[in-house]
Formats: sequence, C-alpha cells, structure tokens
Amino acid sequence: MDDTLTIAGREFDSRLLLGTGKYDTFETMRDAVVASGTQIVTIAVRRIDFDAPGEDITSFLPEDVLLLPNTSGCETADEAVRSAKLARAGGLPDWVKLEVIPDARYLLPDPVETLRAAAALVEDGFTVLPYILPDPVLAQKLEEVGCATVMPLAAPIGSGRGLKLRDSIRIIVEQAGVPVVVDAGLGAPSHAAESMEMGADAVLVNTAIARAEDPIAMAGAFRLAVEAGRTAFHAGVMEEQAPTPSSPIGGTV
Amino acid sequence: MDVNGRKEELAPGETVATLLARLGLEAGWALVERNGEPVERARYAEIELEDADRLVVARPVAGG
Repeated sequence: MDDTLTIAGREFDSRLLLGTGKYDTFETMRDAVVASGTQIVTIAVRRIDFDAPGEDITSFLPEDVLLLPNTSGCETADEAVRSAKLARAGGLPDWVKLEVIPDARYLLPDPVETLRAAAALVEDGFTVLPYILPDPVLAQKLEEVGCATVMPLAAPIGSGRGLKLRDSIRIIVEQAGVPVVVDAGLGAPSHAAESMEMGADAVLVNTAIARAEDPIAMAGAFRLAVEAGRTAFHAGVMEEQAPTPSSPIGGTV
Repeated sequence: MDVNGRKEELAPGETVATLLARLGLEAGWALVERNGEPVERARYAEIELEDADRLVVARPVAGG
C-alpha cells in the first residue's frame, strides 16, 4: 500500500521525525538517526562561541535527510522570524519548525506569537511546521494562514509523560487538512504507537531516544512502533465495549 | 567591528567570506547576520565589511 507522508508536496516514507539534541556524542546521534529510518531531523541555530566552536553537526547527518531548523530559544514572533531568516540565508532549507516559547518552566508555546510568526513566515515563502499546545481552534487558524503541518505536543518537552492531551489531539486529527505531527512529551514507543493509532500522520521524538540507555536500539524501537501504529490505524482499531467471550459459551467439557 | 559581541580588527578588503575563513569557519554552515539583516550565503564573498558593522555569526547545533 502506498502510504507516504506528504508535507508541502514533498513525500516521505518515514513517519518518524527526530530531534538531534541531548545525545552524548554526534556519532551516537548519527547512528540513531540511521536506525530510526527518519528522513527529517530538527536542528537548532545558535551563535558560535569562538573560544569553543565544537564540531559541525551537519557533517554527521546523512545527506538524504531533510534538515529542519527550529526556532528554539525564541520568545517572540519577531525573534522566531529573525532566526528562520538567518538560517535560510545561510543555506539551510526554507522549512522551519516554528517554536515560540516564553515559558522557561513548563516550556509551553505562546499561541498568539506562534500564529503571528507563522503568518509572516508563510508570507515570506517558508514551509512552516508550528509547534503548539493541542488547541483545535489554533490548529485551524494555523492551517488557514498556510502552515504545512500542525505539531501539537503530547506533554511538555522532555517530560516523557506520553499523550496527556490525547482528547484534544484527537479533535485536531479529526479536523486537520494538513498533516498532524505529535511532537514533544512522548517517552516510550507505546506512546508513539498510540499517537499513530489515533490517526496522527507522524511523530517527532528526541529525548526518549537520546536519553535512553541504548539510543540506537531505542531509535529502532520507535521506528517499529510508528509503523505498527500506522498499520493499526489503517486496519481499524476496535471500539472499547463491554466484555464478550472470545470462545464459545456452550459445549464445555 | 563587533562579531558576536567581541571586537574584531577589520582586515583590509575584508569580506564576510574572508572573515569566516580567518575565524576558521569556512567549511561549516556559518550563518551570518549583518547589522540586523541576514546575509545570503551566495554573497559572503562579495560583501565588504565596515568598521562599524555588528555581525552575528551562528551555526546549526543539536536541537529538538
């Protein structure tokens, strides 16, 4: 069955997006990226510390993987637009994971500034993938201004708590005309599988893989979970119901 | 010239490209903003810098 993920006209075989943060080494990150089968990875943009420039992360990433610059660290729409334009001018793709996070404690995104930045970036020719609280009204407004996806969080970034806001995500999935990527808070492959069973189009995972005891094996586990969840979605997950026996009631010996 | 908050002496005929090379960054994905405006990578070799310039030099790093 042809089941490609299409974002802004570009097709992907994998429905697992990976963040590149929090790995102990770039070598482990690279091996996890390969093991996950992902075709889209996020990166951040930061000022160079000339006293400790470090290594170039892009040299560790497979060439056929799409680099998706994020706007992490930005607290306002203006800062996010500036970051995205800097990345694009410097030769990175004109795709952007838009995140506007003024809240350092819970790391929750600002919906008003996110919508404002999204409109400006779409107008400027960017392919915009906004990271949001799972607010179905906001998701629709982002779609209306031309965002390529919506990316509702399952739980706060790095928390690993799973689908705490599943009912709202379910509404977004039901209403969205663009791919829905569940992003942030997924702690285990089962969380990713459940997201896909619900009809999400993809998931984005970082901490759960990067901080696993064996990140490369965990990347493979998430790959399988995403595939299993997607297959189950197509197969039609049964509705919950009252208990019914699976074996014949009569004729017992 | 101010580069990431640090004073840098301007070399004669300095361009964005020669500055990046001098800083050892020619091979990487250096991202440059000059006086608040992003600089297109294709123009790094042609934009001559001035003493009053304020540059931000950034790069891709690991992130989620």
